[in-house]
Amino acid sequence: MKLTRSRSMRAIVVAVAAGSLALTGCSNDNGKKDNGKDGSAKKEDAAKQSKPVAYGDAAASTGPAKEVAGAQSGGTIGVYLQSDLSHLDPGQIYVSDAGQFSRLTHRKLTNFLEDKDGNLTVVGDIATDSGQSSNGGKTWTFTLKDGIKDDEGNEITSADVRHTIERMYSKVIFDGPSFVQTWLSGKDYRKKLPDGPYKGKHLPDDVLETPDDKTIVFHFDQPRPDLPQALAMAGYSIVPEKRDTKEKYDKAPAALGPYKIAERKPGKSLKMVKNPHWDPKTDVVRHQYVDGYDFTTTVEQASQTKRLVADQGEAKNFIQFTTSVDPGQIQDVVSDPEVNKRTIKGFQPYVWQMNFNLNKDVVKDKKVRDAITYAIPNKSMIGADGGKYGGELAGGLFAPTLPGYDPEYDPFEKSKTPMGNMKKAKELLKEAGVKEGTKITYAHANSPRAEKQKLIIKRTLEKLGFDPQLKSIDAATYYEQIGKVKNPYDLYITGWGQDWPSPGTVVTPVYDGDLISDGASNYSHINDPKVNELIQQALTEEPEVAAKTWEQAHHRIVEEINPAAPIYYAKQLQLFGSNIGGARYSTESSYVNINDLYLKKP
Amino acid sequence: MTSPVEAEDAQASTALDEETESKADGKETKGHTGRSPGQLMWARFKRDRTGVVCAWVVIAYFAIALLAPVISWLYGKDPYTLYALEPDYPFLLDDFEMPAGDLGGMSGEFWFGVEPVIGRDVFTMLLYGMRTSLFMAFIITFLSVATGVLIGMVSGFFGGKVDYWLGRTTDFFLAFPSQLFFIAFMPIVIALFVDPADETPTYLRAVAMVLVTWFLGWMGMARLVRSSVLSLREREFVEAAKVSGASRWRIVRKEILPNIVTPILVQGTYMLPSAILSIAFLSFVGVGFVEPTPDWGRMFAIGAQNYEQNPTYMFFPGIALFVFVLAFNLLGDSVRDAFDPKTGR
Repeated sequence: MKLTRSRSMRAIVVAVAAGSLALTGCSNDNGKKDNGKDGSAKKEDAAKQSKPVAYGDAAASTGPAKEVAGAQSGGTIGVYLQSDLSHLDPGQIYVSDAGQFSRLTHRKLTNFLEDKDGNLTVVGDIATDSGQSSNGGKTWTFTLKDGIKDDEGNEITSADVRHTIERMYSKVIFDGPSFVQTWLSGKDYRKKLPDGPYKGKHLPDDVLETPDDKTIVFHFDQPRPDLPQALAMAGYSIVPEKRDTKEKYDKAPAALGPYKIAERKPGKSLKMVKNPHWDPKTDVVRHQYVDGYDFTTTVEQASQTKRLVADQGEAKNFIQFTTSVDPGQIQDVVSDPEVNKRTIKGFQPYVWQMNFNLNKDVVKDKKVRDAITYAIPNKSMIGADGGKYGGELAGGLFAPTLPGYDPEYDPFEKSKTPMGNMKKAKELLKEAGVKEGTKITYAHANSPRAEKQKLIIKRTLEKLGFDPQLKSIDAATYYEQIGKVKNPYDLYITGWGQDWPSPGTVVTPVYDGDLISDGASNYSHINDPKVNELIQQALTEEPEVAAKTWEQAHHRIVEEINPAAPIYYAKQLQLFGSNIGGARYSTESSYVNINDLYLKKP
Repeated sequence: MTSPVEAEDAQASTALDEETESKADGKETKGHTGRSPGQLMWARFKRDRTGVVCAWVVIAYFAIALLAPVISWLYGKDPYTLYALEPDYPFLLDDFEMPAGDLGGMSGEFWFGVEPVIGRDVFTMLLYGMRTSLFMAFIITFLSVATGVLIGMVSGFFGGKVDYWLGRTTDFFLAFPSQLFFIAFMPIVIALFVDPADETPTYLRAVAMVLVTWFLGWMGMARLVRSSVLSLREREFVEAAKVSGASRWRIVRKEILPNIVTPILVQGTYMLPSAILSIAFLSFVGVGFVEPTPDWGRMFAIGAQNYEQNPTYMFFPGIALFVFVLAFNLLGDSVRDAFDPKTGR
């Protein structure tokens, strides 16, 4: 999942298997100055909960959802957003604001059920279970529950599910995920059904089959053990065939979930009310405690934080949707116990890394890459992104939110030398025979954070004896520029997070040598036969076995190739008003658990 | 320059003398003998205490700006080093990346504190920022004054069609919303000169800022000069010079220019501080100088991000800019009073 620079365009966080808040006082500070109790999330805590996702059976998928202790009904929760939702059409949803919205109104074949410790189980959402695989994982069969209706009372059938998948082949959909389509029909999937289902054509039965109204069968050419998790992405939410209005659907989507859109003023506000046709007995994840949600889509991050810190009047009923606390005000938030208890803390799935462009001569030598990796003062880089509450030193390229994350893994000894290990770096450069004053080009976005980090990188490179050339790129086109295979830059920072809690959604898109192309996310252009081989192997394995293969690939990438220096794991810090009940960090979304909220005094 | 009195402006000089006489009140009764208007102006200026203080302040600013590298060398810090990253200063910033000490980290080591997040030294940033601001403002003011005088003079002296068209052009430029224009055109000007893949050199940013602010900075001066020239053009001494066969160039240079020096100088002293504010504004909104060039506007921008947590950071550039703009404006007032006491407040 790509992390785009604009705050409202954060890539969708579909699932996160760890990183729940654990507000223990124990802190591993490595000699950092510590003023009293450290309440920030710790990677050690995250790791305790990082287990592979379990696939739930029919019993686990049967509603209604477990009641939240002390929950009340009624009232309206207010939502602060900085800008309007990017998309409402589920097929187009791949960024986090719309993804969070989708949890209220859309439903999918499968869904993630999170227990109070943050452990995740994939359960059936409109399907009776998380899917039955046969033929060695190449065939997946889903049966639909009874009583699933859209907001006009139409029964959802397997034809609607087929329509949902097929419409993603048409040109109407261009922003959503493409996993399932690619798995079904290959990389050029759009050519297999150019107009989607809109002109009466359908995918052949040996690809997607609907033997009766309640059954849908996916046929793949190789085992796809991750299918239930992929189908739990917001992008694969059901679009009823009768209600599909193509492009217009992005403005007024049908609702299958507990809330539907009552009124929308684009760029300004959005009102959601209860969907009477949603039957709680069919849903094991969602609740319908409040009467509705009022979105205000014009409130800046700093202003959101200020209003929620003050907690006056209507702000008591408001939550931050996908925005975090303003970095400048973190101190005010966490140092006041009254405010601090109204926060949710955890990890975001993103790992910020310094990519080396392996096509460039300057960084071709692994010793040079290692030297720069050793030299980067990770702690200062985090400082430019909010400090201890903004991120955590990264040892490897797997975020603490991934199953199988190892907090001890730290090949560059970053926990011992958070400000960089200049001595070791200079030794390595000497061995590599790099001359003083060698030019090295560092590209960065022109955002405030990147401007600060650029000064730190510049200093580090200068101390190493390089002649750094800093190139500022407009933040809006940053990923596009560095995403070009023949880009002229040597170094650039990128952030990447998983699409669902499997290392496959990190290693495959970012480090698979077969996927180097313009606009693809293999920013370092790493193409290592062994890594590629391990990826192919892991993709067909069951999650438990695959985890080991992924770990092997991870170690190979970090230690033997080092295409990208790990810098830090991003953290989440959100605020909510004092009248909001049931709020906690959701490991699945890495935001507030939107489906469990209620008002203490409606 | 030739003094206005020699250019037969007897009326004005009499008035000046009368004024001095009444103020001096007998002390300098013998002083009737031959003082040039320049001397008179100087005498009047020296009596204006505000003006003198402001003049010293302004001189001090220029001196500090010129000597910034020396001061920085004596003080032992520079505005580019990220002190928070140096092993010598381990506890400069706290857990929230704010200065660890009180008052924005002010100490014997860092007189004005340190910058949040990366720990640069505020004192030297301020000094070098002053350099940036003053030199830029100086160049912009000089160019704008020169352009304004030239266009105003041509417009006023030639009159007729030339005046009409130059006047309309001036109006046209006056109608531009200048600050919006700055924001919109700075990136374009830079893009004109730089390959998008290259790093933009700092001198080029400076040139672009000078061009943009110059482009929209000369109109006030042109208007003022035009009106002054218009009133002088019909005066007897100009007529006399024409009759005696003086060339146009000589008339402009010897007869008209000396008589409009006062308004030009006064207007110039108002333009300099406003140019400083424009430069700061451009950097504040992010289209002016970028890191790591020290600049006041960007110091404001950084300070504005966390003024509630760390008000001291905003304090120093704020005070520095406020004092300078006030001093320069008051100085402008005093200079005008000294030159031309009739048009008193």
